[in-house]
Amino acid sequence: MSKRALLPRWLTSEHPLPWLFPVTSLLLVFGLYPILYSLWLSFYKRNPATRKETFLPSYNWEKLFADDRVWDAIQITFTYAFVALALQLILGLAIALLLDSDKKGFGVLRALMTLPLVVPPAVTGMMFLLMYDSSFGVISNALYSLNLLSPSAPILGTGSTALWGVIVADTWQWTPFMVLIMLAGLRALPKEPFEAASIDGATAIQSFIHLTLPMMSKIIALAVLIRGIDLFRIFDYVKVMTDSGPGTATETLTAYAGTVYFKSANFPYASTVALGTLILVLLTATLFIKIFKVRF
Amino acid sequence: MSFKRFNKQNFIIDSANAFTSRKITKRDFLKKMGVAGVGISAYSAGMLGSGARPFFGNMAHAAESNTPEDVANFLREAGKPFAGTTIRYTSEATPPTNVLNELKSEFTELTGINVEIEIVPLEQVLAKATQDVQGELGTYDLYYLDQAWTSTFAQDCIDPVEYYKAKPDLAMPDFDFDDFSKPLVEGISEYEGKWIGLPFDIPIFTLMYRKDILEKHGIEIPKTYEDFTAAVEFITKAEKENNIYGTGCQAKSGHYSLECDWTQAVWGHGGSIFGADKNFSGNDEAAIEGLEWYQKMLANSPAASVTSTWDGQWQMGASGQIALCQSWAEFFPGWNADDSEVKGLWEMAKPLQGSATLRSRDDVGFGEIPGWGHQGGSSIALSRYSKNVDAAWLFLQWACSKDIMTRCTLAGGFAPMRNSSYEDPRIVERKGLVGSGTTRHLDTVKWTIDNVMASEPDLPIWAGVANNEIPTELGKLLTGQDYGGSAKKCMDQVAKLVDAVVDEAELG
Repeated sequence: MSKRALLPRWLTSEHPLPWLFPVTSLLLVFGLYPILYSLWLSFYKRNPATRKETFLPSYNWEKLFADDRVWDAIQITFTYAFVALALQLILGLAIALLLDSDKKGFGVLRALMTLPLVVPPAVTGMMFLLMYDSSFGVISNALYSLNLLSPSAPILGTGSTALWGVIVADTWQWTPFMVLIMLAGLRALPKEPFEAASIDGATAIQSFIHLTLPMMSKIIALAVLIRGIDLFRIFDYVKVMTDSGPGTATETLTAYAGTVYFKSANFPYASTVALGTLILVLLTATLFIKIFKVRF
Repeated sequence: MSFKRFNKQNFIIDSANAFTSRKITKRDFLKKMGVAGVGISAYSAGMLGSGARPFFGNMAHAAESNTPEDVANFLREAGKPFAGTTIRYTSEATPPTNVLNELKSEFTELTGINVEIEIVPLEQVLAKATQDVQGELGTYDLYYLDQAWTSTFAQDCIDPVEYYKAKPDLAMPDFDFDDFSKPLVEGISEYEGKWIGLPFDIPIFTLMYRKDILEKHGIEIPKTYEDFTAAVEFITKAEKENNIYGTGCQAKSGHYSLECDWTQAVWGHGGSIFGADKNFSGNDEAAIEGLEWYQKMLANSPAASVTSTWDGQWQMGASGQIALCQSWAEFFPGWNADDSEVKGLWEMAKPLQGSATLRSRDDVGFGEIPGWGHQGGSSIALSRYSKNVDAAWLFLQWACSKDIMTRCTLAGGFAPMRNSSYEDPRIVERKGLVGSGTTRHLDTVKWTIDNVMASEPDLPIWAGVANNEIPTELGKLLTGQDYGGSAKKCMDQVAKLVDAVVDEAELG
């Protein structure tokens, strides 16, 4: 008897269903169910005193649109995502170009670049909190020495600088991710067009603009999409470093949903804010895919 | 140099300051950090405001168990059916919880009941308790309830007085409910005439001052807000070169600590949080005067005040950055510990008296008690959803028994909940002590509790409002994000938000 005959029939089937079942069920349980549950929850009005929930489908959604803090949070989320993404993209591409070499030692450098990625974001937040401390923080003191900041206005305690403080921590941690993707793209580029351009007398900048960038466009678009979605759901750095403050200067949508959930215990409204964030991310991502013609 | 935690923190700060001002080399700085055993996680968690309350007590002072034999026998017998059971309790790192965590093995030895105490920051305690009661999960057998949450969780807890009567076989001999300080029961543990839990912790605002700095400048101990303001402004100016500020605040935006500072300022200027009509009154004239005074104090505080909670404020006092402070009395034992660099320099006095008359309880809403000393006490409460309710009840009685409560005070230096503890010879004999284990501040604390203690309102949505709407908007004002520095504009907005929440909860 063959080994194949000993196995259960479903395991030897060539039908896709048995093979799709495990991952599909995981997606249903951990992906779809929470979304549907949140949607159902968002249709209830909760009385925070009695904890009684009444079915009022439009209540939380109307509240969402009328809530000034939501609009502020949208603005902060977009600012955060765009600035961080731009910084990480530019730095990521620049570092990848520098590391795109077969010379001795570059392999080690490329491996070292991945180190920030293994640090948990909460720990990164704590490290930067330490470096920003107004008494002994190395970053704060460097900025004070250069007269770029005053000790009377701590980086994370001042409305105008707090968001930048968080973005820098995010950029430190996630630029290597961009570097890795860009490096993978750069190293897969064919050499011939660059050799031909070189023979024709093209400068390095001309080669970069007319060859590298167009050939890398799909990779860049994909990296922007993945990282962009990630940035929209930023929570850990904000929670650890500023707890959305000072005031609401660093309150992103997910941070606000967390506040409504954990501090005010208004679960239906917190679900509504979270769903609102999901809708916003989907819309932005779809728009991006359409405009930049991203193909998977 | 001894590297007990707080001294170590000062050492690190001094070294870091010396390094940044180039008084020592990088090599020396790194050597010092090595000596101090600095690791990123420990450094961050300890110094950067995890929100945990400072505890610098010493378990050596907890003294030997003095549990009466009849109580020990009761626990042995009553605990038998529950031997092997594990009960769970989550709490903020309050001084008494830290001590209790060390002493709990004595309870396990007597009863065979295991106790798991999960110590997390205050915000997480609230989140965990909220989720537990929402799902009626019974994950925790006992809840730590901050006084601001008492009414929120009233429906989820078992009245200990009633349970004591209902279960005579599990009633600890000589437990004596009347021995608990009446103002504390009323301000912390009672809601609508029912006990929600047992009082367990009483941080309360008193005045603390550096006597050496006051003597140096010939300043009398402030008694009123006017005296305090003048002293703070004078010291900030006079001690500028020494980097010493008149005072320090716990003004972290969006944090409950800022709300506590604000309520103290409001009551101190004759205001209240709610009026008798149950509308928010933090935007009336008296309350605005209080907030404007607080803005003035913040201008005379270290810049880190706007990112500090209570632990940050404690560190300002421990590192010699501030000269006066009206804040939690429980800071005092740590500042006076043997290995403190400011040992014996801090003294305690009664809370400041405002020039305006305090509002009466009839003039305010939701059971608020205006007073000169804001209390931030907490209770331990028995969960209605506990699956080990009787075992947890035994632990609760043990934890709040006379001997354990007295020993918690001896180890942690904070105020006892029971009147008998103040007369306990072990407490009395340390009143003359300067240094670790001192109880010389407790008379002032007791006077404050008995005479001028202030309590926040009792309404089920207060936990949310006190942790979200109020401190968030205050943070916007104090850090210049919004309102252009206008206290009135800020509080008008807070009034709108709070009244909306009260209406939504149909409490107005």
